Amino acid sequence: MDEFELARYVTIGQYLPLDSRVHRMDPRFKLVAFTALVVAVTFTPSYIGNAVLLVLISYLVVLARIPFGYALSGLKPALPVLLLLMALQMIFYTEGFAGPAAGIACVPLFKVWLIEPTTCSLKLALVSAARFIELLMLTSLLTLTTTTTELAHGVERLFAPLQRRINFPAHELALILTIALRFVPTFAEELERIMKAQVSRGARIGGYGRFRVIQNTKALLPVLVPLFMNAFRRAEDLILAMEARCYVGGRGRTHYTELHSTQADYLGLALALGIAILVLAMPWPW
Amino acid sequence: MPPVIRIDNLWHIYNREGERPIEAVRGISLEIHPGEYVVIVGQNGSGKSTLAKHLNALLLPTRGDVWINDWNTRDREHKLDIRSTVGMVFQNPDNQIVATIVEEDVAFGPENLGVPHEELRRRVDWALDLVGMTEFRYRPPHRLSGGQKQRVAIAGVMAMKPQVLVLDESTALLDPLGRRQVLEIARRLNREEGLTVVAITHFMEEAVHADRVIVLHKGEIALQGTPREVFRQADRLRDLALDVPPVTDLAQRLHAINPRIPPDLLTLEELVEAVRAVVGTRAPVTPARGGANHTPQTQNGRRVVDIADLRHLYLRNTPLEVEALKGVDFDVLDGETVAIMGHTGSGKSTLIQHLNGLLRPHGGRARILDYDLTDPKADVRALRRRVGLVFQFAEDQLFERYVGDDVAFGPRQLGLSREEVRERVREAMNAVGLDFDTFKDRYVWALSGGEKRRAALAGILALRPEILVLDEPTAGLDPQGRNTILGLIRRLKAERHLSLVLVSHNMDEVARMAQRGFVLADGRTVTSGTPRQLFSQPQTLYDLNLGIPHVTEAMHALADAGIPVRRDCITIEEAVGELSRYLIPDT
Repeated sequence: MDEFELARYVTIGQYLPLDSRVHRMDPRFKLVAFTALVVAVTFTPSYIGNAVLLVLISYLVVLARIPFGYALSGLKPALPVLLLLMALQMIFYTEGFAGPAAGIACVPLFKVWLIEPTTCSLKLALVSAARFIELLMLTSLLTLTTTTTELAHGVERLFAPLQRRINFPAHELALILTIALRFVPTFAEELERIMKAQVSRGARIGGYGRFRVIQNTKALLPVLVPLFMNAFRRAEDLILAMEARCYVGGRGRTHYTELHSTQADYLGLALALGIAILVLAMPWPW
Repeated sequence: MPPVIRIDNLWHIYNREGERPIEAVRGISLEIHPGEYVVIVGQNGSGKSTLAKHLNALLLPTRGDVWINDWNTRDREHKLDIRSTVGMVFQNPDNQIVATIVEEDVAFGPENLGVPHEELRRRVDWALDLVGMTEFRYRPPHRLSGGQKQRVAIAGVMAMKPQVLVLDESTALLDPLGRRQVLEIARRLNREEGLTVVAITHFMEEAVHADRVIVLHKGEIALQGTPREVFRQADRLRDLALDVPPVTDLAQRLHAINPRIPPDLLTLEELVEAVRAVVGTRAPVTPARGGANHTPQTQNGRRVVDIADLRHLYLRNTPLEVEALKGVDFDVLDGETVAIMGHTGSGKSTLIQHLNGLLRPHGGRARILDYDLTDPKADVRALRRRVGLVFQFAEDQLFERYVGDDVAFGPRQLGLSREEVRERVREAMNAVGLDFDTFKDRYVWALSGGEKRRAALAGILALRPEILVLDEPTAGLDPQGRNTILGLIRRLKAERHLSLVLVSHNMDEVARMAQRGFVLADGRTVTSGTPRQLFSQPQTLYDLNLGIPHVTEAMHALADAGIPVRRDCITIEEAVGELSRYLIPDT
């Protein structure tokens, strides 16, 4: 029984400190490669395209030395919804990217009463499921192999040219990201502590059963009110601490960490971009 | 040399809408010179934190002026000069770290100042080395202890190359080891780097080594001088709700017995010297008294908590699994007060969360009252009604608008009638010294820190627990707040039949409150026994950096110096009694 162990469910920012090529990749390159693959996953309608991506991503997970089950640990809670979604798509689908509009004929598979799944609806269901799994693995891959600091630096440096040209707040964005991520473990610990404290004085959090929404929401107040009040207090403290350390915005700041890219980074990026373009541009037959 | 900080008739008045103005600082004038170590003490609300925030222009004077070198803090042009000259470390270690890894956080200040890259690297290396945190430079801050976080915060300030370091109650939330390390660093920087230090605290023993002590009271300077001059005036300090350092306290009680012991001793060495000068080699004047009057009261022997070889893992079956408890033995007899001692990370929080079934054992035996926690069917909700667990900083759990409602939360969850709830709330509030009729309709936010903590304690007492578990009940409170809480717990204990589990790393508290203690380290029970047993063989505790009560330390020092006193005195009354055998003047 680990009902209060929140860290178990918070996988964002759960960096796995291993040493691998994926870990060592320059965060700027990693972010661009990640984005390219996400785009490819999102817009590929074909079986083959998805199969290629699935193989590639699985290969990257192995390369990063992440245990396969751990990369997929987000799948288990989502599985019922995913299966329901697949079923609905099978039943109610008429046409779309996999149907006649895309120039593909739909062949009925079987018919029960009014329900008549076709090869098209089957494809939609399977492709959606594959996309979901691919996206899940991709995000796990990024967060498990990249420290939040590297992510923030990556974002800041990638957008730095935009800051100069159109005053895009790249530095501020990176700082917000850093502070947010910095406080995720703090808030998770605090939430856990407050939940335990309230349960210790008789609170029933989530103890009213699934359908008594009002009671369950009310039962959250003893947790949320202190959590927010403490968060505001922390924010005020942090502002003071930052001011005391001479923070006056991004102008004139120097950077402690400098990012250096290697040949391997260019190669990795080229690989990701190449496959993404290949998958998107090829007119796969099915 | 001209003063580095010059304060001229400073007034600070907080004007909040709809409230009457608060005069936090009332006409303070003060000069602090380069290389000085100044300690500012005062109870909560004395204006010491407000004063501190004026030292680097985080607040601006309502009236009067503050000058840092030759810059007036009102002069916005010199804001960054001022803030990089006077560096500040705050109270809460969690709320002042910006970056997600240590070295980047240390770099934050100089980055803001635009220090070039090469120099930045050098400064970060230097600052981390100063505070001894080099080996942790790649750690994320949430994986550091409180003391380590504060050392990172000091490094972050030092990397700006300041002239003055202000510690605004920076040790208040730390365990003894963390506190000692932070103080050692501050003293070393003062001595070796010539850094001016202004430390604000309500631990009097931290003021002993200062060049100057300033006592604030209601926004004014009440006393000022060398530690010796200030602490000599014990009565005046008590009027201001402050203590004197433990050694001084002992010296003053001995002075009352024999005026040849000076009343203004500050360190153990001075005390040993003074006592030896008086005692010489003469035999005790009165015969030894046994410790019989201090043997623990008899218990009826029923074990209400019985834990053996307890194991617990966090994040079990994930790659991040940690073994928090590796074999803890612990028991509580009916009606007993038991202390749990250990550092952050020793497993004490994990252990006490088993006591009301918040956590379940992953190995070993755990019986609490009639509940066997290894049985998955054990009714933990029922258990939680009988074991009241008061968390550290319990005031953080208050959430209702009115005090009475908040205390009523627990009883209401039990499904009691309105009258019964009201009766329990009345009883609990009165028990913690918050008079029901006066306080029930007060706003929670309007209470003082100590009152909030008592309100939170009342919330647990309203459940009428049989076992009360208190995690660091006095952490972060000023001397008055600490004494109120301890007095309260002792009275509760006397009035009701309660078994008490007290988590503490304040050994004076343990000596005064507990009948038995358990020392935890690295997820195991290292040793246990009566406080007298534990403190008379202090090596284990020293090895774990836990320390022993100040008076016991003094008795060990005297005995080591050849004065044949008993080493096992654990309260100041005992120590005075024992020493008076040698000190009563011949008539």
